[in-house]
Amino acid sequence: MKVLAKNYYIFWKVFPIFLCAIFISPILIILSSLLGNFSENWVHLYNYVLFEYFSNTLILVLGVGSLSLIIGSLTAWIVTTYNFFGKRIFEWSLILPLSIPPYILAYTFTGLFDSYGTVNNLLRDILNLSSSYIFFPNVRNIYGAIIVFSFTLYPYVYLICRSAFLNQSKAMLETGRVLGLNKLQIFSRLALPMIRPAAIAGVMLVVMETVSDFGAVEHFAVQTFTTGIFRTWYGMYDLHTAMQLASLLLVFVLTFVFIERNSRKNATYASMASRSDPDKPELKTGIASFFCFLACLIPIFIGFILPIMELSIWALNYNLSFFNENFLVQTLNTLYVSLIAAFLCTLFALLVNFSARFNESKFIARTDTFLSLGYAVPGLILAIGIVQIFTILDSTILKNSQFFITGSLIGLIFAYIVKSYALSSSTIESGFERINLKLDDSARVLKSSGINLMLRVHYPLLKTSLLTSLLLVMAEAVKELPATLVLRPFNFDTLAVSTYIYAAEERMYEAASPAIAIVLIGLIPILILTQMIRKSRYTNH
Amino acid sequence: MIKKIIIFLILFNSASFFSSEVNIYTSRHYDSDEILYKEFTKKTGIKINIISGNGSALLERLKSESDNTLADIFFTVDAGNLWKIQKEGFFQPIRSQKIKDQVPLNLRGPNNEWVAIAKRARVIFYNPQIISEQDIKGLSYQDLASEKWKGKIAIRSSNNIYNQSLVASMIVKYGIEFTEDWARKLVSNFSRKPQGNDRAQIIAVANQEADIAIANSYYYGLMLSGLKGEEQQAAAKKVRMFFPNQETEGTHINISGLGIIRTSKNVENAHKFIEFLLSDKLQQSIVSNSFEYPIAKNVEPHPLILEAGINFKEDTISVSEYGEYNAEAVRLMDRVGWK
Repeated sequence: MKVLAKNYYIFWKVFPIFLCAIFISPILIILSSLLGNFSENWVHLYNYVLFEYFSNTLILVLGVGSLSLIIGSLTAWIVTTYNFFGKRIFEWSLILPLSIPPYILAYTFTGLFDSYGTVNNLLRDILNLSSSYIFFPNVRNIYGAIIVFSFTLYPYVYLICRSAFLNQSKAMLETGRVLGLNKLQIFSRLALPMIRPAAIAGVMLVVMETVSDFGAVEHFAVQTFTTGIFRTWYGMYDLHTAMQLASLLLVFVLTFVFIERNSRKNATYASMASRSDPDKPELKTGIASFFCFLACLIPIFIGFILPIMELSIWALNYNLSFFNENFLVQTLNTLYVSLIAAFLCTLFALLVNFSARFNESKFIARTDTFLSLGYAVPGLILAIGIVQIFTILDSTILKNSQFFITGSLIGLIFAYIVKSYALSSSTIESGFERINLKLDDSARVLKSSGINLMLRVHYPLLKTSLLTSLLLVMAEAVKELPATLVLRPFNFDTLAVSTYIYAAEERMYEAASPAIAIVLIGLIPILILTQMIRKSRYTNH
Repeated sequence: MIKKIIIFLILFNSASFFSSEVNIYTSRHYDSDEILYKEFTKKTGIKINIISGNGSALLERLKSESDNTLADIFFTVDAGNLWKIQKEGFFQPIRSQKIKDQVPLNLRGPNNEWVAIAKRARVIFYNPQIISEQDIKGLSYQDLASEKWKGKIAIRSSNNIYNQSLVASMIVKYGIEFTEDWARKLVSNFSRKPQGNDRAQIIAVANQEADIAIANSYYYGLMLSGLKGEEQQAAAKKVRMFFPNQETEGTHINISGLGIIRTSKNVENAHKFIEFLLSDKLQQSIVSNSFEYPIAKNVEPHPLILEAGINFKEDTISVSEYGEYNAEAVRLMDRVGWK
């Protein structure tokens, strides 16, 4: 018995480290570029463009971080604490913008708001004004980019915050009210600070996706680190310097993460009660209900309804022929790889996070942070890291086999996992944070540990987090990953590939149909998740 | 179950079930290309397998696959991209005399590592309501640096390879110093911060947001055709296309082209494919779908492009030089503040 327990212990220590070692390798390859020579292009970059890349990226990150925090946490707060007209629909539809990749929103924005775009034309027609009259200012700048990223990515904050709010102790909030805080203060000074780890985790995801994006910032003519990376690679033919730039970006992200982790070192956020009392949400009517309604509608309108309308117009005007048998194949391919990726990614994140908790291992917790970095790497750069790892594998371990991992579906799924690990891990981590550690102790007293503890005690409590993780990874894998383009086998097309190769050349009419298909498929996991969340809540009450 | 999945994954991995096939890495993404692949298979019985993607990234994949690669052909736009692959030693010389006879020397790799299958010109668009034919007559790229055009020129970002190639060709012909001076003045003449693609520049001219725009020739045909919607068609009708540098070295030309991979196991098929693309029938189909200029002598460009003028003077500088000076061009554009 004792021996068995010891084996268990070793398994939980060694296995996550083994997993980490595999998935972290492409990121290490990219970081290892820092050990190489620094070419003279660095002098050039430093003299002429680096400062601009840096300052633009910083403004973008701060802007998108705060705006998405406001939108995500506020809407989450409204739908959990108040009962108002449309609440049941908003609860799930606030996730919808997740199915729109930022670059697609960027394209629809310029289609709508350019001087001679749909909206300006429409207003001129309605008001019968001359064509020199322009209502909306140019959106092709850093502010336009901040809006685009915030309204497509806030659901990360919303999702994590919402489940945190649901689990928040209502007694605490009541106390605040008794002590004289008004409604806004209860939100901003009590409820939000109490779920800080969750909110920060959501914002971190938003920030990581923002810094890794190329399509939207390029379209808005904003020079960021990532546009600089690609310019150096494609234009100066200097992949090595490009990878060094990417590493620098990762170092910044890491610094951010560690500063945040350290600043809450001594605070514990695990709530005393693992579940709140099912306090009835406060009913709002009249003006108050209207404001709640509006606050939830605006993000959905900008992040989802508006682009869908514009995309539908494009698709109808141009390319319905996309919906043929090819489309069916692409849809199945998309579902197939994204489901496998979502499932495996969630499983790995669960194992790693459980192990970090079970062993109270700092080392594993740190590797987890490192693994999450994959999300901040610009897609194609990550693809290069992966391609290089595969080359090593193909020429060593797999040397004598007929199988090459490069260009195989296994490789593709590997890429999805490295890219989206952060999504799974942050959701599951914040799920674990809400499970009281005393529960583990009690379980251990009852001789439940390892797999048993995970399956019988944690799994039921983590169900929502696990589902959320599945959803997020799936949505990510469905909507975009330029890595797909490089890593896939011959003739293997997914919807994201179709959208991307058209959109990469700003051929939006052609891209509209596959983009809509992506949204429709993205809806499937969202609807399933909604149903499950709802069910689990009812059975718990 | 797991076994089944693994078998499935492995099967998916290898594209080679057909004895006769050709595997293509391409960064050209035209729907019309697909029709052309199908036609090739119908005619020859040779199956075509495709991976389309970003050119630079596909090159990295090629590098890592090295001798194991299944790719037979690399198909891409812009000579700079082809040059990069050639420089890395991934192409083998094209042997077919038929192909060499058809493609002019300046539109091939130095040792026939790659050939053009279509070409495009980087031209000037103007709005006849603002700019008279007289104003624009005899205009050259060099003239665009003149004070006369202050705040009047629309052009896209220097991240774009078409601009990089244009600047690279200037460096080849006139040296860095001259080009840098020219580019600095050109930038000071921009009507706005560079944004949008080539079509957006043409639309800006149509809407009188700029007097002239620099963009690729085929966009004009594409917009006029109505394939890009009524608005773009209307915009294109408001502008005229003009070929710069007719009185000097000729208008800047770039290409779509392809080459055969060094380790190709289907060299014969690959040659057949290139010959097929250069046949009159296919050339006709390529230019009528993409609005590019043909390589075959007996074929005429699309009527919509033809209207803008034919038999214009092309710059005969070897397009392979663009690649050689691309990095220099990018650094130069950084220095002069071309965003």
